[in-house]
Amino acid sequence: MNKKDFLTELKNALTGLPQDDVEERLSFYGEMIDDRVEEGKSEEEAVAEIGSVDDVAAQIVADIPLTRLVKEKITPKRSLRAWEIVLIAVGFPLWFPLLAAAGVVALALYLVVWVLIVALWAVEVSLWAGALGGIVLAVICAAQGQSLPLMALLGAGLFCAGLSVFLFCGCKEASKGILHLTGKAAARLKSRFLRKECVK
Amino acid sequence: MDTQLKRGLLDVCVLAAIRGEDSYGYKIIKDMKPYLELSESTLYTILKRLETAEMLTVRTAEHDGRLRKYYHITEAGLRRIEEFKTEWKEVVSIYQFVIKGDPHE
Repeated sequence: MNKKDFLTELKNALTGLPQDDVEERLSFYGEMIDDRVEEGKSEEEAVAEIGSVDDVAAQIVADIPLTRLVKEKITPKRSLRAWEIVLIAVGFPLWFPLLAAAGVVALALYLVVWVLIVALWAVEVSLWAGALGGIVLAVICAAQGQSLPLMALLGAGLFCAGLSVFLFCGCKEASKGILHLTGKAAARLKSRFLRKECVK
Repeated sequence: MDTQLKRGLLDVCVLAAIRGEDSYGYKIIKDMKPYLELSESTLYTILKRLETAEMLTVRTAEHDGRLRKYYHITEAGLRRIEEFKTEWKEVVSIYQFVIKGDPHE
């Protein structure tokens, strides 16, 4: 493959990426090929040393931050044609609820994760409160000389305390695990997005 | 190698490659070749990062009827190399500690 073909193919592989980035990369690779040719290599050899278009494109895409990619995706490259505007307007009752639903589902999933963590810790806190209440009431019973409620309350209080200590480690690990999982899911989402871009 | 560590090393290597005199992309790759293989895309990313950090400046000059980009090290870039030297002494002393008493060494 000669220089011109390489750069054209690379440019095609990078369609959809920010225009400035693409131009700068192309001139960078062009210079790299020219410098090799100047050294006495043939254009084909020089291009072969750079690597395959797919590899180069994949690396470039991976280098550009996701925020830039998304921004580029949602900015239209040309003004919309009349029929497209009509279609968007007519289709509004259809696409808007779908988009809103997708957004709400995403939000709900996010909330579920946090609610799960909050619920775990709420159980933990209520156990502590139970333990504290049981012991305080037991002390009051002891002061009044009621031995039967004293035993029951003390027992319940100590049971709660024991359970809460036991559950504390579980809560901590579970929270850490859930947060770790969400982080991994986000990373997966980004790599999927990038892969889709590369294939184009 | 740990990616964070490698990234830091590569940055300093590229700075060292342009310390003596201004250099251009292919020359940097060739100069570094005996020490480490650097791909074009990796070099591009490093140069961009260093430019953003203002450790080097870029100028475009005509060469043999075409344009070529030359990279020039800044004060901040030179400082980074000096920092690296001191940091590396710490790394070496940590290394000494790690291998001390290691039955595999």
